Amino acid sequence: MTEEGLLDAERRRFNRLALAPCLIVLFLIAGLPAIYLIVVSFTPFQLTEPGSATDFSSPLRNYQLLPGDPRFVNSLWVQLKLSVWGVAFQVLLGMLLALLLNVPSRFVEFARTFFLIPMVLPPIVVAVIWKVLYTPDISPLYYAASLLHFSMPSLTSSVDFALISIIVADTWEWLPFTFLMVLAALQTIPEEFSEAALVDGANRLQIFWYVTLPFIAPILLISGMFRLIDSVKAFPLIFLLTSGGPGSVTEVTNYYAYLLAFDTNEIGYSSAVTVVMLLLVAAVSLGLVWMGSRREGFA
Amino acid sequence: MAETESTAARRPFSRRTLLKAGAATLGASAFPLPAFAQSKPYSGVTIHGASFQHHFFTLLQNYIPEFEDKTGMKVDLQLSAFPVYNQQANLELSSGGSAYDFCNVTFILAARWIGANLLTDLGEFTSDPNLTPAEWNPSDFVDGAQVPYRDAKGATYGYSWEGGAMVMGLSRMDLMEKKGLKIPKTFAELQQVCGEINSTDNVSGIVSFQLHNWNLPPYIQGFGGNVFKNPPGDIMPALNTPQAIEAVEFYANLLKNDAPKGVITYTEDQARQLLLTGRSNIFIHSSSWVTPILLSPESKVKDTSRVVRMPAGPVADHPASNSQGLGIPKNAKNKKAAWEFIKWALSPEISMRLVKEHGHSSICRRSVIESEEYKKLNVVNGQDLGALYLEVLELPARGDNYMAYRTVKEFPIVGNVINKCFEQVVTGQLSARDAMNAAQDQAIANLRRAGSKI
Repeated sequence: MTEEGLLDAERRRFNRLALAPCLIVLFLIAGLPAIYLIVVSFTPFQLTEPGSATDFSSPLRNYQLLPGDPRFVNSLWVQLKLSVWGVAFQVLLGMLLALLLNVPSRFVEFARTFFLIPMVLPPIVVAVIWKVLYTPDISPLYYAASLLHFSMPSLTSSVDFALISIIVADTWEWLPFTFLMVLAALQTIPEEFSEAALVDGANRLQIFWYVTLPFIAPILLISGMFRLIDSVKAFPLIFLLTSGGPGSVTEVTNYYAYLLAFDTNEIGYSSAVTVVMLLLVAAVSLGLVWMGSRREGFA
Repeated sequence: MAETESTAARRPFSRRTLLKAGAATLGASAFPLPAFAQSKPYSGVTIHGASFQHHFFTLLQNYIPEFEDKTGMKVDLQLSAFPVYNQQANLELSSGGSAYDFCNVTFILAARWIGANLLTDLGEFTSDPNLTPAEWNPSDFVDGAQVPYRDAKGATYGYSWEGGAMVMGLSRMDLMEKKGLKIPKTFAELQQVCGEINSTDNVSGIVSFQLHNWNLPPYIQGFGGNVFKNPPGDIMPALNTPQAIEAVEFYANLLKNDAPKGVITYTEDQARQLLLTGRSNIFIHSSSWVTPILLSPESKVKDTSRVVRMPAGPVADHPASNSQGLGIPKNAKNKKAAWEFIKWALSPEISMRLVKEHGHSSICRRSVIESEEYKKLNVVNGQDLGALYLEVLELPARGDNYMAYRTVKEFPIVGNVINKCFEQVVTGQLSARDAMNAAQDQAIANLRRAGSKI
């Protein structure tokens, strides 16, 4: 081997050694529980049946039962609606807000900081804020409506509005994320492009459509995908605001898995539900990685 | 003589004193441990226990240093939120762990734990007079509260520290009197009173909360149905019987027509608050949530309130009740020390102190509930709340145990289905018949999925 080859091998060895502690920690805190989850999903494990944790007599039973479980199928559908609408609003409103606040001004700087607050609040605090807003007898919204002689339905217990109320709260919490991403992208667009378009007689809308949007489109896509993955974690809002109801109107898959594990003690079946959810999220994540690599390729 | 006495008094030690002291020293050096053990029998022992957070334990913690001082043992009591405790205890007991020496035997999990042989039969302690003196008297515990902690053979696995008896609180008797309405005693009268009061003076007719599988069954049973066909023996769900459908329709109409907006998502605290401020006239729930309209300083309606039995159904009068008990896990390391603690915590003396010093009334010792001291605190505006509590708590032990549906291990699965389907009826997604037919199918499917042989 040449001296250069030896150096490369040495470098690779060093890289592997340097990475090893991180990989070991990652395996311990994420890999092992995931493996355990998958193993348990092949059993009929129930807390009150100690032997059931090691019963592998019918390993695919839980997975075979899933398509025939109407609550599981419904929960996937609810999750899809929540994710798609939530992410769409967050990306769209976040972009509009970023466009609005992309001007050099002290007041706007203050406003930007102010808009970030919902994102840094603990999720349970966000849920409590919206619980207060949605509870008719203590909510200022309902009080204001009553002053205007306008009667509002109870949003979180209404079939028509329960999911919308979750989407609104989720959008309020996570809109700052897309806002921040888009704002950062906007600030990298060279001024010359817009100025050249202005000289050519383009109006504001045309500048946005032909200059700004192509620049921020990859960021919109990436932040949308991040939010899509994260939208699966809307648990605190649902737990505190609707408990998955009324009926199963807001029962998303992770809330259903929670009920199965901790309300009815079906740990094995709940694990199978969780594994399916994990696979779906992994598929979206892989899509994100693939898009990232394509973007690098384009660059 | 006087001289001798004065001489003796001046001497630091007499010969007799020295002899006595010598004999005592010899005796003590020959048998030092028994003498020590008698004064602090559990010196150096630490027992570990767990329960969910409850006012009872907050108060008990004030007395625990006295117990530790008396016995020499240390008590490590871990308190968590109700669902968290249940999850932890379920895992701990079902995995055969020995982390707890004593624990709360949660009402809804009692049958599961007893059936799976996860708890110690406390008869081995109560039947031994050396371990349990006669004054402790196990039969002093209200029988209705003890039913969940017995197995089919009558062995006891827990003693109750808390009782819950479903009663009805009425906060606006002034409005009812104005309208010439009497306290409802039947379901039909309940519907009429709720309808007449609702929206009068911005008061809603009735308030409730989101645990439908606790609130609904008394109506199902009142109309002659049940959650299961014949629990605990036959646990085939009975959710789509005509009686169950009629009950769901009745209770859903009450909430739809006469309760505040969004009542199906209310928590117990929200419902209690509406009762205490007189914004809802009726709240039917456990006594500890309802009696504050007469006892709590927060109540704004003390003068216009009544607490009575919940109305009876056309077929049966089955107000719900429950209890929480203390027990010893099968694999506990310090069973005798744990029993010593349970015996002390649930003794008549401590129960009486909780009543007298803190007004804590939801205890389960009959002798205390019937005592004059208890009555002094719990007879308000001529209403004997203790007698009412005792009456309801006793009911399941008379005749068939109608609360058995709640103590079978299959109940959480069926209860979860009930919660969902009832909400579908209240919000108009399905008719009572369709919802309960779907509930029946789903309950059976879920039970079979969980391995029940039905």
